[in-house]
Order: sequence, then C-alpha cells, then structure tokens
Amino acid sequence: MALLEVHNIHTYYDHIHALKGISFELDRGEIVALIGANGAGKTTTLNTISGIRHPREGSIIFDGQPIHHLPAHEIVQLGIAQVPEGRKIFSRLTVMENLDMGAFTRRDRAAIQEDLERVFKLFPRLKERRNQLGGTLSGGEQQMLAIARALMARPRVLLLDEPSMGLAPILVESIFQTITEISQQGMTILLVEQNANMALSVAHRAYVLETGRIVLYGPAAEVRENPQVRAAYLGEA
Amino acid sequence: MGLRTGIRMGLIAAIVTIFLILIGVHMLMGRLLQSWFRVPAHWPGVWLMVVLLGMWAGSRAVGQMKARSWGNALLAGASAGIIQGALVGAALYLLASITQAGVDLRTWLNQMSKESIGALTLGFAPLPAAGFIGGVLLVSALAGAAWRERRLRVRAARLARGERMISLREHLLEIPAISQVSNNPLSRRVLIGVFMVLLLIAPFFLGQYWNYNLGTVGIYVILGLGLNIVVGMAGLLDLGYVAFFAVGAYTMALLTAPQPHHIQMSFWLALPIGIVLAAVAGILLGIPVLRMRGDYLAIVTLGFGEIIRILSKSDVLTGFTGGPRGVRNVGHPVLFGKDIGNEFYFFYFILIGVILAIIITRRLEHSRVGRAWRAMREDEKVSQAMGIYTLKYKLMAFAMGAALAGLSGAIFASRNSFTGPEDFVLLVSINVLALVIVGGMGSIPGVILGAFVLKGLPEMLRELEDYRVLVFGALLVVMMIVRPQGLWPASRVQLERPRPELAEEVEAPAELAEGEVGS
Repeated sequence: MALLEVHNIHTYYDHIHALKGISFELDRGEIVALIGANGAGKTTTLNTISGIRHPREGSIIFDGQPIHHLPAHEIVQLGIAQVPEGRKIFSRLTVMENLDMGAFTRRDRAAIQEDLERVFKLFPRLKERRNQLGGTLSGGEQQMLAIARALMARPRVLLLDEPSMGLAPILVESIFQTITEISQQGMTILLVEQNANMALSVAHRAYVLETGRIVLYGPAAEVRENPQVRAAYLGEA
Repeated sequence: MGLRTGIRMGLIAAIVTIFLILIGVHMLMGRLLQSWFRVPAHWPGVWLMVVLLGMWAGSRAVGQMKARSWGNALLAGASAGIIQGALVGAALYLLASITQAGVDLRTWLNQMSKESIGALTLGFAPLPAAGFIGGVLLVSALAGAAWRERRLRVRAARLARGERMISLREHLLEIPAISQVSNNPLSRRVLIGVFMVLLLIAPFFLGQYWNYNLGTVGIYVILGLGLNIVVGMAGLLDLGYVAFFAVGAYTMALLTAPQPHHIQMSFWLALPIGIVLAAVAGILLGIPVLRMRGDYLAIVTLGFGEIIRILSKSDVLTGFTGGPRGVRNVGHPVLFGKDIGNEFYFFYFILIGVILAIIITRRLEHSRVGRAWRAMREDEKVSQAMGIYTLKYKLMAFAMGAALAGLSGAIFASRNSFTGPEDFVLLVSINVLALVIVGGMGSIPGVILGAFVLKGLPEMLRELEDYRVLVFGALLVVMMIVRPQGLWPASRVQLERPRPELAEEVEAPAELAEGEVGS
C-alpha cells in the first residue's frame, strides 16, 4: 500500500474550482514530481495535503489513515512537512530559531539534537550562520534553511514547493543534489516544480497537472520523452 | 555647497522660529525653566530657545553638506545664521513696531501679548531689538556649525582608523564601572536590589501627589506589559485593549460597591474574579476575530472597545452598571482589619502587580508559547505548516494580555474608589499602545520607560497647562523620527540593525555620518 494516497480531490477558493478531481499516490522512498504551468494547481495540491486548505470532495489517506479533514498542525505531527513556495523562512528569527520552529511539534529533545547535527551535516553553511538572522541569508541559503527546517520535524513525507524558484542555475543544481541525497536516506518526497527538466531528472515518477487536472503520468523517464511534455514544458519543439 | 545648504536651512529655521514665536512657545519655555530650576525670571528660557534654534540651523546646514571643509562649514553656518537672523529680526521689528503703535495683536494672534513681545525686545526700540535677535541667531548658528563640523570630523577620523561607530549604549559600556556591572551577574543583582530598596522606601518621602502619580505609572506599566504580549510578542494589533481594563474595573466596582448591587464582596475575592473575567472577555473577543490580521483586526478590536464603553454607559443597563454616572464607593483592600486603600499602600500593591507582570512576561518570552508567538508574528501560514496550532496561541495571547489589563483595571477602580464610562475612552487604548511603541516593542524595560515617559512626563509638563498636550505630541513626533526603534528596544531589534562592520555593503563614511543627522 502506498504511503500517501490522494483520491479524486476537489479544492475550491470560494467559487473558483482549483482542483478538479486529482488522484495520485506516493510510495515509500519515492521522489514523485508534480509538474505544470502557473495556475495549474500544484501549490493548491500541496496545501490541500498539508491541511492549510481542505478539499470539498475526495480523500487523502496517509499511512492508512484519512487526513483530509485534519487541521494543519495535526498533519505535521503525523509526519508530513512542507517547504513552502518562495522559501518563506522566518526572516527576523535566527537560523537556529528557524530550525527550532521546524521541530515545534516534537518533545524528544535528544532526537531533535541528533536531527540538528544531521541537518548541519547536510548543509554546513547553515551551521556557520546559525546565529544570523534568516533574512540576511542569500537566496540559496534561505532555500537550504527552508528544507532544513522542514526536516527538523522528522517527517515521513516531505512536500517541496518550487525549490528552484528564483535561484541561479548553479544553486538549483546543488539544491537538487541535496534533494536526491535526502531521498537516498529514505525520505519520501513530493516535488512540485515549474522547472520540469530538473524535476524529471531526479524524480522516479511524475504527474503533469493542467488547470486542475492530471493529464499525464508515468515513470519520470517516460514523461520526459513524451512529445507533448517536451513541447510544453521542456522548451523543445 | 555650504552656501546652498546654509540658505536652505536658514529659510527653514527662520520659518520655524517665527512660527514658534507667533504661537508663544518662547514664553512657555521661559515659564517651564522658571518652575523647574527656580530661575527668577522668564527671559533665560526665552533666550535659551532662541539660541538653540540658531544652533540647530547651523548644525543642520553643516550636516547636510556633502563636501567637508572648515571653510564650507563656516560658510554654511554664516549663511544660515544671517538668513535666519535677518528674517526673524524683520519679523520682530514688525511685531514690535505694530505693538508700539498701540495695536493689540491679540485680536489675531492669541499669544502675542505685550509681555510676549517684550521678552524678545528686552525693552529696546524695534530696530535695535531686531538687530540684537539677529546677532544672537547668527552667533548661535556659527557655534552650532562649528560644533557639528567638529563632531563629524571626530567620527570620520574614527572610521578612517577602522573603528566602527558606536551607539550611546556602547559608549556607556566603555566606562569600566558600567561594563563591570553589566557583565557581572552579582553586581547586576546588587544594582537591581538597590533600585528595589529605593522603590520600597520612596513612598515615605514622595508625598501624596507623587505616590498617586507613580501608582498611575505603575498601572500603565501593567497595561503596557499586557498589551506588549498581544502586540509585541504575538503581533496582533489590538486597539480596543481598554475593554479588558474596563472589565477588570467594573468587576471590582460592581462586586465591592454598595450600589447598584449590594454585593460588597471583599477586595481580595473580587480581584481574581476581575482577572478571570477579563481573560474570558479576551477569549470571547478572540474567537470571532481569529481569522483577521493587521488592519482588519485593529478596526474590529477598536469597535469592541467602544462597544464595551457604550454598553457601560447605556441607559438600558443603568440598573446593572450604574450607567453614565458610574459606580461610587468601590471597595478598598483590607488587610488585618486595616483599610489599606490610600495611595501610599496602593503604591506597594501596584509594585507587586508590576513585578508579577514582569515575571509572567519574561517566562512567556522564553517559553514554547513565546516561540510560537514569534513565529506567528512573522508568518502565520508558515507557522501553521510548522505545526503551530495558531488559533490556540492567538487566544492565549488575547487571554494573557486581557488578564493583565483586568488586574490593572481592578486595582485602578479600587484606588479611585470610583469607576465610570469616562475612564475607558479610546484614548486609553491609544496611550497604552503609544507607550509600548515609544518604549520599544517587545522590550520589558522599554515598556516601563515608556510608561514613565507617557504618564510621568505629562505630569512634569503641568506648568504648560493647555500646551501640555501640544508639547507632548511634538516630543512624541520628534522621538519617533530620531529613535523609531523605541527608547529601550528589545535586544532582538538591535540585532536587526546591522552594524557597519557586519553589513556586507559598507557604506561610504560620509554617508554613515549622514545617517546620524537626526540626533
């Protein structure tokens, strides 16, 4: 059974029908990419999973338990952590305080300390800058911090929303390398991206989203070879 | 360069000076100095103002120059002084000769009495008087220019030597005695101890009037610390904070007064009830406004504050609340059979309340709750994504803040033996918010200092009578321009103002000096 199953969810913003019946699943240890253009519903999908929005129809099952009616803070406690779009770190808190906030729902101090070491190993830059205010970090460092903060919740599923947004190509590459590394340590990752090329190169499977519907899915390599995808998202004729 | 800034500054300073004279501020200065320092006449204050305005013109003119040289500074100071002096002199000449001709200027300008103009002419004829004030302004402007130039040079030299600019706080820390005290926890404690002892014996020496006023400051400290939780820590802008103060006060009043309910409960019982009811009111207000933020929240809370006040004075509820006439004979605290309801005992009682509020705030600040509030203040959506149950923490902030307001309200009503709708006007909410901002949001010593400045200073300005509020308002405006972070900002805020050696792009030294112009 899949770790996270999304069944036919419909999400609305008042009367705007943003998600029109989306279904997909994540298996343990997978990286699944969700690609699509602006306004396709990628971020809405993530927010619906993490409980910031609630679906009007459909169900979301996490490890056998329905979670679509739960509030956001309970979903975090169950083990789903989100790295929000545009990084959204707490810019007036220090790096350490940001990481602390990531572990807000946890009470196991020793394990938190362990995770802190692990995160610092993954992102040595953050260790150097741990007493600096989040807002003074560079864009790439802020993205690292956002990912590190989510990891501090010790999640079982990591929802990544546009990690490449606004970063220089060289930084995008290093962020995606880290994502692969995290995945190799056993993390299940749902990756939302506009940068389809990058996303498809690290993901195992992929879903293509278009105006609130899934129009195509399959192993990442196959999706990548699909002529429509090549034309629409990879910029090839 | 110097000429241009000099002319510009001279013009501005002349307009400001003439305006201040026309509304009679020079006489106010004279009277204030007279009463504060027991100066026998009012002219020292009057001329102190003139000299200061002249120095201000010269100093600003130099501060705005781009090219730094003594020649330029002299030129700037002189041109500012000459223009300011000539214009102000001309204005004085006009005013003095009109008055001499027997016209009473007060018909148009309320403050332009004979004495008011006489304080500036010093009894001379209009022409020599104009010359004199012009000369004084010129000399003052030159002095101001020289002082500023020297100060800027000292700063520039320091920067050239690679030393960074230091704040007043760090200046103070350079003095060995002070740095030792602030670094050594023991001597710090001794200092706090000495301060506490001073506070404890103060009421014996201060007399009724100042005991009462210090008590009022204390009540506002409690209110400020409470609002600081809501606004400073949780970032929820609450403009109806007075409502909880009112709930505390009315609970105390209605439960202990003989009218209108005949309950006449003991003060000690009514106090915790008042605190709890205020906290409950905080939660009740909190529930409907949970989803609001920023401006919307401010407007709704503002409305809530007014609703409580209007309810308290409505005719329909007169039988329950005492209506517009309020509640009289509110109960006093009685300890060992002794009525301790005068300002002397209340001083201690309020002091205990303040200490309690400080302890609560400090504990909250460093707790899990405090961290959740900080994160919520930064970004509510992301806090949710971090697993913070924002609704719960918002309600907690409202409840905690309201409980402290309830505490101070209950004490307030009992101390005055009276409470009524007029005690809970919007201005109280605004005053409390202002003291939090003036003191430094999020900072406990800041709130205390802010309460002293906002509630204590107006008492010291009593001499000014009607002008009190005007002068006070002007002081607030100046203060927010010169020190927007508050008088004693939280250390967190200081962290946010990058020091030159930490900033990645170090600005040019000249511009750094420019950054300090406000002082």
